[in-house]
Amino acid sequence: MDATLAHIERVLAFVVGIIVFFVAAIALKNDWDSKGIENQVFKGMLALLALGAILAILASVNALAGKGVEL
Amino acid sequence: MAVASVSHGGFAAPVHEEADQLYLETRELRVQGFLLFMVSDLVLFSSFIFAYLYLRSSGQGWPPPGGPKLDLALAALNSGVLFGSGATMHFALENWKHRNFMKFAGWMVTTIVLGILFLSGQIVEYVKIGVGWGTSGIFGAGFFTLTGMHGFHVFAGVIYLTVLLLQATAGKYTFAKYTGLTLGTLYWHFVDVIWVVLFSIFYLL
Amino acid sequence: MAVAAVHSGGIADHIHPEPRGFVRKYLFSLDHKIIGIQYLITCAIFMMLAGLLAEMIRVQLMKANGGIMTPDTFNAVFTMHGSTMVWFVIIPLLTGAFGNIVMPVQIGARDVAFPWLNMIAFWIFPIAGLMLYASFLMGAPAAGWTEYPPMSLQGQAGTSMWCAAVFLIGIGSTMTGINFLVTILKMRAPGMTFTRMPLFVWGQFVTAPLLMIATTALGAALAALFIQRQFGVAFFDPTKGGSPLLWQHMFWFYSHPAVYIMILPAFGILSEVLPTFSRKPIFGYKMIAFSSCAIAILGFMVWAHHMFTSGMAPQLQIPFMVLTMTIAIPTGVKIFSWTTTLWGGVLRFNTAMLFAVGFLVLFTLGGITGVFLAAVPFDLHAHGTYFIVAHFHYVIAGGSLMGALAGLFFWFPKITGRLLDERMGKWSFWLYMIGMNGTFLPMHWLGMWGMPRRVAVYDPQFQTWNQIESVFSFVMTASILLVFVNVIYSMKFGKPSGPNPWNARTLEWQISSPMPYYNFKHVPSVFAAPYDFAEPLPYRGLEEELTDSPPPVPAGHH
Repeated sequence: MDATLAHIERVLAFVVGIIVFFVAAIALKNDWDSKGIENQVFKGMLALLALGAILAILASVNALAGKGVEL
Repeated sequence: MAVASVSHGGFAAPVHEEADQLYLETRELRVQGFLLFMVSDLVLFSSFIFAYLYLRSSGQGWPPPGGPKLDLALAALNSGVLFGSGATMHFALENWKHRNFMKFAGWMVTTIVLGILFLSGQIVEYVKIGVGWGTSGIFGAGFFTLTGMHGFHVFAGVIYLTVLLLQATAGKYTFAKYTGLTLGTLYWHFVDVIWVVLFSIFYLL
Repeated sequence: MAVAAVHSGGIADHIHPEPRGFVRKYLFSLDHKIIGIQYLITCAIFMMLAGLLAEMIRVQLMKANGGIMTPDTFNAVFTMHGSTMVWFVIIPLLTGAFGNIVMPVQIGARDVAFPWLNMIAFWIFPIAGLMLYASFLMGAPAAGWTEYPPMSLQGQAGTSMWCAAVFLIGIGSTMTGINFLVTILKMRAPGMTFTRMPLFVWGQFVTAPLLMIATTALGAALAALFIQRQFGVAFFDPTKGGSPLLWQHMFWFYSHPAVYIMILPAFGILSEVLPTFSRKPIFGYKMIAFSSCAIAILGFMVWAHHMFTSGMAPQLQIPFMVLTMTIAIPTGVKIFSWTTTLWGGVLRFNTAMLFAVGFLVLFTLGGITGVFLAAVPFDLHAHGTYFIVAHFHYVIAGGSLMGALAGLFFWFPKITGRLLDERMGKWSFWLYMIGMNGTFLPMHWLGMWGMPRRVAVYDPQFQTWNQIESVFSFVMTASILLVFVNVIYSMKFGKPSGPNPWNARTLEWQISSPMPYYNFKHVPSVFAAPYDFAEPLPYRGLEEELTDSPPPVPAGHH
């Protein structure tokens, strides 16, 4: 039962990761030319959000896993 | 300075021509101040991250002897939930900028719900881990302190966003003047970004 | 160069009505000038407490063994003396008091960026102070203001209270840092570019990020110590896997920048006082400004020079030694610039100037011993001895505090409209010079001879010099008490000063004394730095400030 639960978790993480990555990347592309410190911060955070989504995707398929982690 | 139309969903907010210059300058100050607050919050997290990495490199191994192992699948999903809430928050602000109150509200509620889901996921994980904060050596010092601090920030963010939503519903913001909503979005993204770092150093390192 | 537009409807035209009633006017004031005075008064109270603790230390040390208190009590006394002086006297005095009273007016603003935050930051201060002193009732902290584990993990329930109190005042500091930074970045008068800013403002400007960033790092360390003590979380306890060295890294990463928080605003005060009483432009304005930036940045990179004997990785020693010595360079640039400012000037030695010149001499001495200590081989011998105590008292009591006293004598007329009494002032200065040097100079050789610091009893060979130091410390205390007497006396009976008794050129001197609640009737525009004594004042729009014309009209609604 536990293995199935983990499986569901991974699938969901994978799908959500992909969606979030594209939302963040498209938002970043649309706002690329904006100016001012506030917008630069927003852009930076969107980029990091995209990175986070990639990490979630990689984690969901065990491509990236740390030492202290149970797969 | 163009004064925007101000009705949304039947609520109208008063507008003063001469207040625009004041609004713009005050907005500048508030945004700068909020960004600096985020910098100091970043320093707070960085200090604890340093402490964790320092303790982790002390040769005891990670996890320390007898220490628990973390559930990657659950954490990946939980991360997806939190990152998803960042995307929905983005949609909420975009819809406000496009003067759509109902869509704004819908996405705000979604964001808040996802935030609460993330917190629930954290609690589930803490229960699964089973060890105590002060009885698990450097595991507790690193993991529970940092994820706990982050969870507190998410909790505060959930409250913050709820308050913003209620204020927006009560007409406090107009489609031309909505600094509070921008700051709330900045904060929520900030909380997301911190999680990117924490997820990496606890689950991927 | 950001020039805020201040015409038609902006913040500079948005004047609040004059506050009415004692509570709104003096107790819960949003006015930066009143808040600054509140800081001044609170700092004075904590200074008396910390001074009392200092004299308890000196009385104890008059006898080599068996003074007036047990070693445990003595430990608590010096811990509280240090904690009070650093966090509840010097830092709030130089930032919260002088920064608040002077800086917004010097940039031509009506208040700081966030007046509410300013008020809250102030009220945190006395509350945190009460918390700190409440720790006496539960077993005061006793491991020094640096509270190293494992000692700070033991007994003394008051240590947890100390963590909470200092954490709380740190929040106030962080708020002030953010407030001042945004104020200086965004609210300067039109035409006031960064290179036309007074150097006191530069001092506050480079200190603000330190307040913001370094203090938060301290907060993390304090929180970690607190949860270690209260919940057993294994940060610093080696029996649980933690590391005492981790505390030292976390603590000193803040506390070294903290010493720059304590000195940079004082440097700023010096840069105002010296040219005013030399009737000469400050020498090397840009070098002083940029060297302040260099000091602020480098200050984050040198913390482990407090840890040369700690057992940390030996390969860290040389890099930290080199970086520490590097800070002497921008500091030396300042000393040189100030000395050259005096050269060839028409010097007027009133009390403010005396304290400023005294600062120049004593801080330089303290700085030189700092360079000695930067050298690892020397520090291995001097660490933990009275040489260290000598060094930091020279830079703080000979530097920061003298700078603050110079600022007090300089700006008292601006705050109250009356001059401080010069005779009492000069007596204060000479008593201070004699007392301070008599107390702390011998500590250099006591340290070299091997007298350790933080000891209630010591080897009898050191007793004579300790007794000499204690006697001189009473002279120093007398000088400070005389300053307090002077302030109280002059508030009532001081000679009226008029708006500009020193013929100074920065903006605060172009409005009346005491300063009106609205600061300026019209926000001026600025077209040069204020230090060129040969030129007319570099401002436009100040014609009405000293006339009888009515105050500016408050905004109709907010």
